[in-house]
Amino acid sequence: MTENKQWEPKIVAFCCNWCSYGGADTAGMGRFQQPASLRIIRVMCSGRIDPLHVFNAFLEGADAVLVTGCHLGDCHYVNGNYKTQVRYDFMEDMVLELGLEPERLHLSWISASEGEKFANFVREVTEQVRKLGPSPLKPEGVN
Amino acid sequence: MKEMIYQTICPGCGVGCGLFIRENDEGKLSIDHMKSSPVNLGKLCRFGMKLPHYYAKANNAVNMTDGSAVDAETAIKAAVEILKDADTDSVALLSVGNTSNEEQMAFTKLAETLGTVVQTGIQKMCMPEPGTLAEIEKAKKIVLFVDPYVQYPLIVRRLLAAKKNGAHIISVGTNPLNLADETLDLKPEQYGELELDSESLIIADVHPNSDAGILKSVKSLAKGTGAGIQFMKPFMNSNGAALLANKDGNMMGLAELMEDIELGNIRTLVTLDSDPVELMPDAEAAIEALKNLDKLIVIGSVNGPAAEMADVVIATDPVYSKAGTFLNVEDSLQENSGTGKAGVDALSLLNAGIGGKTFTHDEMNYLVMKTIGSRETGTAQCKGSEIELSLVEIPEDMYELRYLYNPFMWSDREDDNDFVLLNRNTVKKLGLKKGGCVNLKGEMGELKMRFRVEAIPDGLVLTAKKLPIAKGVSTAISMEVC
Amino acid sequence: MVEVGDRIIGYSTDTGVRNKGASGGLVTAVLAAALEKGLVEEVVVLKHISEYEAVPIITSDVNEVLASAGSMHTVPVNLAKYAVGKNVAMPGKACDIRGVIEQAKRNEVDIDNAYLIGLNCGGTMYPVQTQEMLINMYEIDPEDVTGENIEKGNLIFRTRSGEEKGISIDELEEAGYGRRESCRYCDVKIPVNADLACGNWGVIGELSGNATFCEVMNEKGVRLLENAIEAGFIEIQPASDKAIAIREKVNNVMLSMSEKWSEKIFTEIPDGERTRYYMEQFADCIDCGACKEVCPACTCGEDSKCTMYHNLEDNYRMSMFHMVRLMHLSDSCIGCGQCTDVCPADIPVTTIFRRFAEKSQKKYNYKAGMTLERPPFLEVMPR
Repeated sequence: MTENKQWEPKIVAFCCNWCSYGGADTAGMGRFQQPASLRIIRVMCSGRIDPLHVFNAFLEGADAVLVTGCHLGDCHYVNGNYKTQVRYDFMEDMVLELGLEPERLHLSWISASEGEKFANFVREVTEQVRKLGPSPLKPEGVN
Repeated sequence: MKEMIYQTICPGCGVGCGLFIRENDEGKLSIDHMKSSPVNLGKLCRFGMKLPHYYAKANNAVNMTDGSAVDAETAIKAAVEILKDADTDSVALLSVGNTSNEEQMAFTKLAETLGTVVQTGIQKMCMPEPGTLAEIEKAKKIVLFVDPYVQYPLIVRRLLAAKKNGAHIISVGTNPLNLADETLDLKPEQYGELELDSESLIIADVHPNSDAGILKSVKSLAKGTGAGIQFMKPFMNSNGAALLANKDGNMMGLAELMEDIELGNIRTLVTLDSDPVELMPDAEAAIEALKNLDKLIVIGSVNGPAAEMADVVIATDPVYSKAGTFLNVEDSLQENSGTGKAGVDALSLLNAGIGGKTFTHDEMNYLVMKTIGSRETGTAQCKGSEIELSLVEIPEDMYELRYLYNPFMWSDREDDNDFVLLNRNTVKKLGLKKGGCVNLKGEMGELKMRFRVEAIPDGLVLTAKKLPIAKGVSTAISMEVC
Repeated sequence: MVEVGDRIIGYSTDTGVRNKGASGGLVTAVLAAALEKGLVEEVVVLKHISEYEAVPIITSDVNEVLASAGSMHTVPVNLAKYAVGKNVAMPGKACDIRGVIEQAKRNEVDIDNAYLIGLNCGGTMYPVQTQEMLINMYEIDPEDVTGENIEKGNLIFRTRSGEEKGISIDELEEAGYGRRESCRYCDVKIPVNADLACGNWGVIGELSGNATFCEVMNEKGVRLLENAIEAGFIEIQPASDKAIAIREKVNNVMLSMSEKWSEKIFTEIPDGERTRYYMEQFADCIDCGACKEVCPACTCGEDSKCTMYHNLEDNYRMSMFHMVRLMHLSDSCIGCGQCTDVCPADIPVTTIFRRFAEKSQKKYNYKAGMTLERPPFLEVMPR
């Protein structure tokens, strides 16, 4: 890492195949400006996101993690995102107790057509995290 | 079958952690923590937690002659024949301390009948009186010549307690330790920089591959500064083995012993729970050396590479079910609740077969207690030369693969520590990727290994496991991304 | 006949058991009766090795049950995992019972076949530390001790010569001795989650010291007691209102002590420092895995998320092992203290887990290991 290069937050977004991944796609097609720092991981359903995936992302050097899925009631697998909600509540508590800033973990329901919402969401989080600085869990040697 | 519970000691190292081994009604082994054990308060390290795997039936030794399983009687008879024919001057007995005092005593009796001595793999040298591990907590300054996390994990809590009490901890070596305040890569001639005094404590270890030169410097450092010294030992009964081996014999280092085997001076080797292949840094070379023997008799509880090439294998009870006592690094006596006496009984028959007397476990126990009771205090006379291990020259563009840890506990045991340590510069230079592997190339061949990044000096590759491409403690290798 | 909710005072009809067992030997007799009359196949009890050591055994031998009589405050073991897959009766402190219930939630224990006799517990102590304490505080040779008891906030030791010496627990704990840390802040002293909740609190008058107060918590408790009465192993009488009130009072005193300790131990760590605090705490971990192995809330076996996603070659700031366990235990930790006991690097594992669990469990008004009616929280759908 060179000193003069400005630090860019690394953001990992878990997107479900049916809604929020579509939303990210729509955002791209709509040519909404998106930060280069975003890394999208596609899962079939947000209900597949195990808390360990989120914590692994932090340990690997993510400055923020976004958990996204279909709006409640719209899950392709009936109720996957309700399970996401339960786990997210626990993850949120754990992130807080771990001493990470609450701005580093977000949950958002985004449909395939909400490209602009996705783009705005990512941009907002990026701005918040830029102010916070690098995550304290980031391993040595990772930008 | 009824559930059995054995009170025993962990065979991993010389700390002597107490624990219970539970054998359930289906013969499955598990661990119970013995919280009343003063050495470890019931706590165990990675190895201790894995003891059920170590004691798995598949690892147990079986009685064998010429590679096929036989009953105990036949194996003992075969061993008697070998020892009867052998020339006294060319027989060697080796026991490094992986078994009970009673078996050790019985082995010494056998040696006496043969007119030889039991070798413990460590040259005779003056050793300071062992202190208690609790004393670690009181030291003001502690110098570590071992990596406590990996080698002797049960002293970690003592060191942390010392730190809480205000101790300054210095690690001498290349691998930064979390509990150390400083890590200094010092040569023996620089030990003066440590500025020790009588409130300081040196923690080092003595094992068959210890560098005699460093040991000598460490001892003179302690002597010159008045600092205390705690020698850790890698085998569960290292102290018992040293105490019960015949006093006045010519004690050789393991390397010397192997050299004698290679030169043909030793033609018959009898081992008691000691596998030279596992003990020597270069396993291949050790196997080649053992091939020079006329006869190899392996007595022990665990199956290993030496047992596989032995002429006779005499199986003893696994450590947890043995009857017997053990001396840990603090010289405190611990006792098993088990009742297995197969080892002493076999040694008794062997002894009788070659013209000596038979003996029982209880007689051996009596002699052990007598020896412990009358043990001399003060330092013994030092005899014998101390050879220094030669350091390997590493060419400019190559890396040094260094065997970081004492290898015995994990020797050939399955574990997830099969990776090497590299520093960040090396990773960048070679273009290694996280989760990938690195290809190590040496004279002995190639090996793909996973790696971990650690703040160690450039040009160094550390391994906790004995790798097949390693020629010894230090090997020159080249590396590339794979 | 016995009914759920009954509060009784009882003791063993056998004088030998009555004298040997603590408080009239009721629990020992109930266990022996359950075994004798075939209510259970086996019983989990502690086999005495010395005054400071005992090891859990699973036995169908009544003599071993009778030999196990007496409380062992210096054997801080958790019995939950010994009940797995068996038709057993087992005595236990509240944390043992909580462990069994967590195991049952994960289908490891068939709760209908596990009879749980709860024992009031004010706390347990470390055997080695206790022996040190006896020498330094009580000036008693540890070898001379024949029994111990906790009464009115005092820890009392009885010696061979029949003498008794008590020192207040507060004083002992100020000096760094006394109960294990997790016991100090434990907030379940009467095991209301068991089938029977037994103890000597509330045993007054001439029966004091020779009988056990017992509350019948459920149908299984009824069966246990009736079985023992029918077998002629025990005699019972209803507890007086005064006895009930005294038991309640003792419990409240213990709980308020716990609350004080809780405040003292769980001081808030400021926002900006917590991450570093936790990273430093876990930095000396040697990856032995003992904390998981002993955890009564863990049923995963050797291959589990916390071990399979954890690699020794990762140089993370905190290991995946601990991350996954922190998550897992935020809804399941029962605070039994086993993980701290066995940690070779002396990491205060239980206290760290409690910091996470306390917040989550409070938020959902959920207390792990208390009732089978609520499943592990992470497994449920939102209401």
